[in-house]
Amino acid sequence: MKTLPLVSLAVLLLAGCSPGPAPQPTPETKPTPTYFRPDPATASTLRGAIRLSGKAPQPKPIDMSEDPACVAAHKGKAHDESLLTTHGTLENAFIYVQSGLEGKTFEVPTTPVTIDQAGCWFHPRVLGIQVDQILQIINSDPVTHNIHPMAQVNREWNHSQGPGDAPLSRHFSKPEVMIPVKCNIHSWMHAYIGVVDNPFYAVSKKDGSFEIPNLPPGTYTIAVWHETLGTQQQQVTIAPHTPATVDFTFKPK
Amino acid sequence: MEAVLSSNPRTQPAFRLAMVIVALTLPFSSGCRSAVSDTPVGPPIRITPPLGLPPVPIPADNPPTAASIALGRRLFYDPRLSRDNTVACAHCHDPRLGFTDGLRLSLGVGGLTGIRNAPTLANAAYAPLQFWDGRASSLEEQAASPIADPVEMNQPHDVSVSKLASDPTYQAMFRQAFGSKGVSLSRVEKALASFERTILSGDSPFDRYEYGGDKQALTPAQIRGLAVFRDPTRGNCTACHTIEPTSALFTDGNFHNTGEGVDDDGKFKDEGRFLKTHVKADLGAFKTPTLRDVANTAPYMHDGILKTLKEVVDFYAGQGNSNPNLDPAMRVIRLSGEDRADLVEFLKALSGPLPPNLGPPEKN
Repeated sequence: MKTLPLVSLAVLLLAGCSPGPAPQPTPETKPTPTYFRPDPATASTLRGAIRLSGKAPQPKPIDMSEDPACVAAHKGKAHDESLLTTHGTLENAFIYVQSGLEGKTFEVPTTPVTIDQAGCWFHPRVLGIQVDQILQIINSDPVTHNIHPMAQVNREWNHSQGPGDAPLSRHFSKPEVMIPVKCNIHSWMHAYIGVVDNPFYAVSKKDGSFEIPNLPPGTYTIAVWHETLGTQQQQVTIAPHTPATVDFTFKPK
Repeated sequence: MEAVLSSNPRTQPAFRLAMVIVALTLPFSSGCRSAVSDTPVGPPIRITPPLGLPPVPIPADNPPTAASIALGRRLFYDPRLSRDNTVACAHCHDPRLGFTDGLRLSLGVGGLTGIRNAPTLANAAYAPLQFWDGRASSLEEQAASPIADPVEMNQPHDVSVSKLASDPTYQAMFRQAFGSKGVSLSRVEKALASFERTILSGDSPFDRYEYGGDKQALTPAQIRGLAVFRDPTRGNCTACHTIEPTSALFTDGNFHNTGEGVDDDGKFKDEGRFLKTHVKADLGAFKTPTLRDVANTAPYMHDGILKTLKEVVDFYAGQGNSNPNLDPAMRVIRLSGEDRADLVEFLKALSGPLPPNLGPPEKN
């Protein structure tokens, strides 16, 4: 009982001597991760080609007539580009390292990846981006678009972008291969975004070729995704400072 | 809202008797905002709504009279209600621009830019809550707010009152409207509100088609557009822009989130209804604007970001911008290209003639 007045006094003193600012919540300082940087003395380039065996179907024409502004903006006839092939090569395949980089953290590039809506078409149709890298979305068209990445691992969202509107700057916080993208207004517009947590990815060019530079020595599972033909994997071992090659061949469905 | 609109109490004898009692007791009640009575004197006049509009709701304490409407009209066009005598109410609510200013964001005294697009005053009489965020619950409460707003007319109310009180024309008009020459804020608000209740937009091609039996009033594209507008599986527009069996306000008077204004980080620079309610679900929600005369009130949305009706229709066709509070009614919109073109045509059919005597008083 005797201690009670003392306790009260202490409380009073404590209360009385805290006129200063309330304790500030410490700002969230993420510990800077140790980024892995490939050693140029040992890193190598992985090259290859994506091929199509057999005959590809004729691309179907796309009818944009429901939006005359799109017909005018597209300049020329539009065709389905879900399977682009020239003399047995396959364009727009996404090639990435599916495994073999575990435990390594890579710096996020400060340069954004850009996707443009031009001629009521996404450019490019297939693109890769690193986790948290900025995706800059441009509308070059005289019409409104509504870009809608239908993500499942990441947050799904859609956003309207009118003619002349400023670019959008978005990012994806988790790896996800691939995120299908559509325009909510123009049903024929499609794109695919591969979100990976490393810089080792590529999209095959018109001649089917791809190049992934600067890979550190090691054994990797290299995966290829194609919009209509599915996925394939191969094991590849990169020896120090020795360029390697891996080719993939898809069959038409 | 329905209850308010279901009958017109002004015409009932009991109401008139009540008004007399109110008029007699108000000056002595402690709730008075100023020493002078703010009850209009003289016979109330009936505001006849044009085809397609319901009866105009009239507050019991402000029956419109010819004198109070005339006073409100003069006040509405008077730039002396602004700090530097340059900005009248009509500055942002110009009758030649469908009672808007045609700007993305409104300009106040000294060229200061507001944060919102000036809404039309057409049919504001029917809105249960005023402003994009509904922060005023009546036209009376709304009327004087822009006068004192620093980015609008930026004049303290006591300055407005003394400016008006020294003008013999106003002295006569206040006497005619309220029984004495005294100027009070409440009298100004009531007169402005009564004038605003006469700004009614109806009798449009849509009204003549829908309520007037004139099946030629709309073009085939507009008729198709009306069907899209109503179809819950296509436009779903009437979910908020309501059409009733005997009248249409093209607004539910409520607050909805279309995602308009959400930024890359998912935040709303203008938090809309949330600013008033502080209810999280109201973040980014704004009052459904009427679509009456919409072809003449570009640009659109609370921030005026959409320049044309086509852009507005395309915004909805894309289901707006995703955010946690997006109205579910946005999610079901499915519009083909033809639907979108027809909708734009239909929206052009919502403009009718405005009543006379709405322009600047000197010119009429």
